[in-house]
Amino acid sequence: MQDDLPETELRAMWLNQPTEASKMTSKLIEQRLRELRAKTRKKLIGSFAGPFVAGMFCAYGLKEFAGLGLALQVPFACAVAWSLAGVYFLNRGMWPAAISGDMGLSTGLEFCRREIGRHRDLVRRVLVWSFGPIMLAIATFVVALVMVSTRERGIFPNGLPFLTLVVVWVVAWFVIRLREQRGLQREIDELNDVETNNRRN
Amino acid sequence: MGGTESIPAGQANQDALYREAANHFGPALERVARAYEADSENRRDLSQDIHFQLWRSFQRYDSRCSLRTWVYRVAHHVAVSHVVRERRTFSNLVGLEELEATPDKADAQAAANQRMDLNRLSALIQRLKPLDRQVIISYLEDMDAASIGEITGLSPANVAMKIHRIKNILAKQFHEKRHEGDIDAG
Repeated sequence: MQDDLPETELRAMWLNQPTEASKMTSKLIEQRLRELRAKTRKKLIGSFAGPFVAGMFCAYGLKEFAGLGLALQVPFACAVAWSLAGVYFLNRGMWPAAISGDMGLSTGLEFCRREIGRHRDLVRRVLVWSFGPIMLAIATFVVALVMVSTRERGIFPNGLPFLTLVVVWVVAWFVIRLREQRGLQREIDELNDVETNNRRN
Repeated sequence: MGGTESIPAGQANQDALYREAANHFGPALERVARAYEADSENRRDLSQDIHFQLWRSFQRYDSRCSLRTWVYRVAHHVAVSHVVRERRTFSNLVGLEELEATPDKADAQAAANQRMDLNRLSALIQRLKPLDRQVIISYLEDMDAASIGEITGLSPANVAMKIHRIKNILAKQFHEKRHEGDIDAG
């Protein structure tokens, strides 16, 4: 290391930077608690997006293609049941808005790994329990369109650009989420390596 | 402080601990927030969150570690959680190794004529992954390797290695640019 490195100066600059005094007052605490509850409510509402979208496709599909009968009803029912089960599993693994009160007991390494792991699990849960049933509902809907179009030409050719866009969106969303999950896993692996190094030293 | 429905029985002790921590480490908490959040509005929000979670955390404080270690751990954890939620992934963040090995040419060029200042240091810290960020902040907060190890959970050897890298990075990023600045001014 160079002798003339201005690290003391940098440290002094860092320590002497202007800061705003901030303290918790009872009013601020109440406000924060309200915000935390609002965040939790929003997440709860968000977890109903899967059943809502799947339900919309099912209702519209059953109305439009009533003639197809059981071939449609069974997969649509599965999609709705799957997405409703998803509400339970998504909420069970929901990321709490408030961080655990005993966080001061864990080190930075442990906390980072836990937090990233939680995020990875959440991404996985959303893929399985929210994205999955929506995909089943959309796929059933598309199959219904194809079946109808073989009987009477109409909806399918006209709706082809829209369906293509839907498929592109679905694939892109899926790929992005998978990449995100892989990135998070890489982070966890790196932190595991750090811990292994820790044990060796 | 009081009047909220979730305040537990040991509230007096919790409040006293929080007051002590806020008095002693208030500016340090602000600096931690600055190291994690560039946007001033979000930073104020993060800072309030750190204070709030710190206040909450004192329900569980049992003196197993020093007050300073507890305060820094909580502050870093809240800030890390903020980064994980906001950025979704750390893929855009780099480790000390990458920062050391591949100095950002574009940034270096653009910053060549700027004077060395706090914003550049903050920007450099904000590019780092959380664990490396914790080490560099603790180092700048004038902590020794043992304290840094206690906060981050890294072994003394690991901390020493990272501090060595941090010094190299600071030398590269600040000393060299200052030197270039002197030449330009001359």
